Amino acid sequence: MTTGRTRRAATATVAALAALLTLAGCGGPRAGYAGVSSTVATTTDRPGDALEAVRGFRSTRGYRATPVPVRLEIDRIGVATRLQRLGRAGDGTVEVPSAWGVAGWYAGGTRPGDPGSAVILGHVDSRSGPAVFYRLRELRPGDRVEVVRADGSRVRFTVERLEQVDKRRFPTDDVYYPTLAPRLRLVTCGGAFDPASGHYRSNVIVYARLSG
Amino acid sequence: MRVRAGLPALVAVLVAAVVGCTSGGDAGSRSAAVTATTAHHTVTPTSLPADASPREVRARFEQLLGQHALLAVRLARSEAAKAPELQKVVEGSLAANADAIAQTVGMSFDGAQADRFRQLWQGYTDELAAYADAAAAGNRAGAEEARTALLDHCDAWGAWLAEASGGRIQAATATKNAQARVEQLMDQADAYADGDFATAYKLERATYQGTYGTGTTLARASLPAKEAAGLDAAPENLRSAFAMLLGEHMELVIDAQRATFAGSPEFEAAAAQVNANTATLAKAMGGIVGPEKAAEFQRAWANHVEGLMDYTAAVAGNDQAARTVAKENLDGFAERLALYFSDVVRNVLTTDPLTDAITAHDEHLIDQVDAFAAKDYARAQQVQDAGYQQMLGVANVLVDAIEKVMAADMPAGGSKTGGGGAHDHP
Repeated sequence: MTTGRTRRAATATVAALAALLTLAGCGGPRAGYAGVSSTVATTTDRPGDALEAVRGFRSTRGYRATPVPVRLEIDRIGVATRLQRLGRAGDGTVEVPSAWGVAGWYAGGTRPGDPGSAVILGHVDSRSGPAVFYRLRELRPGDRVEVVRADGSRVRFTVERLEQVDKRRFPTDDVYYPTLAPRLRLVTCGGAFDPASGHYRSNVIVYARLSG
Repeated sequence: MRVRAGLPALVAVLVAAVVGCTSGGDAGSRSAAVTATTAHHTVTPTSLPADASPREVRARFEQLLGQHALLAVRLARSEAAKAPELQKVVEGSLAANADAIAQTVGMSFDGAQADRFRQLWQGYTDELAAYADAAAAGNRAGAEEARTALLDHCDAWGAWLAEASGGRIQAATATKNAQARVEQLMDQADAYADGDFATAYKLERATYQGTYGTGTTLARASLPAKEAAGLDAAPENLRSAFAMLLGEHMELVIDAQRATFAGSPEFEAAAAQVNANTATLAKAMGGIVGPEKAAEFQRAWANHVEGLMDYTAAVAGNDQAARTVAKENLDGFAERLALYFSDVVRNVLTTDPLTDAITAHDEHLIDQVDAFAAKDYARAQQVQDAGYQQMLGVANVLVDAIEKVMAADMPAGGSKTGGGGAHDHP
């Protein structure tokens, strides 16, 4: 006949054994946590840590908006300009910079360094002479372009290619369509000047990719 | 912001398409697909139709190649874990994946190329398994032998792709890219066997993304030049990128779920990559909907991910009450994520259909961890494959919607950025 003390001791022993078996992965079909070595069996020596780790998991929440661009520098062609914010004109086109010597960033689009194509426009000339993007067409693949952002950080791009296109066949998708790769597009005028309309017939577009 | 005005239409199309995708395919068949436990290991896509569009060919190759990379990673890990049952299931999925790729090669190239591919791929995957085995056993001589054989296979791959593409793909380029992927897989196996989980999980993402890109190359190689060039259009690249990221989300959550059963350092490494994927997804959304709405998206997505981890902790802790609470919370998070979209469309749409689609995704991950905890690896793998395919379908309909909106909302034409003829160059 067992005493109450003996029964309590036996119960405690069984409970301890059960706990050990469970931790060792022998606890039956729903042993779960310690019972399955999903990937590396040898890492189950401190199983309690993993459960605490998953219980303490926090997903990244703070969306960090990239600072807006404030300055553009292209050493190769002597460009160093502040950036004006540009919106949309009434005809659906992107506004153009209000000053000949200043480039502008299309603020309705991507911020430089973010996934997508950031677009910067600048005039090629004024009625009296060269403007900020006068030498844009001299850029070549491999040339560096730097954008300074509002927090002082710099983002660097490398020119991939340059093309001159008739404005009637402007490659809207290539310039503005979303992409998950960070890109930069520099746009100005080029080609033949049409005195009747007072505008150039073509655009010069520089395509650049993020380099750092 | 450029897309703001079109967002109601975007989300309307998205909701309709996701619901159609879910109810017509995965969600409706999910129960049947995952109830069998051991008879079938995998859920492979239906065969590529003979009249498949270039977009479909690309998506199929990308999806299958990305899946191959993930399975190769898991094969190496199951070797290191000395988990033969899990290893057997992964091997079965790798074989089914190889069959599906060969079928796609046969449809998009021809039968002879499919035979050649199958021969090449078999040799490659055999050596990959040999490397994983050697790395897990600390057998340096065996690993070196397998490495040499794998790099030889990269040469053969490059030569085959150049020939199969009629010279449009350069052998040297294809070989170099294949070597980079193989090196990542071997480095991943080494890091994992050494217990360097942070490196192993980073490399998993890198090799998944890189091998996904190999799928793009295969598609280009198989298509006539004009159709191949069309694959580089901006909407096509966006579609591919979203499919990659959403598929990656599904797979990384499964990694974290499974790592919960392995130990703290491994879970933390897996969880870090889940967070990296979330941040990338939010930034990707930011490029389309702007920073404010992207921040909203990230908060809603974070709730979704944390809910899944809460459920995983409940399963790992064998806590039935916590499981119930976690499931209820997940349902709530799904409703709120749906509400986010509904808010974007100014409550024009009801949230129920979208909630159902998100819940179907949650249920894949719930079923997966339940099966894994019960050591029913075959069922876990089935659910994983089904869930992966569902996410790629969601990506497709998302980009279909974006495409429609963008067409109407992008800036019009070229810019008038010249003033007076000082730069008149024909």
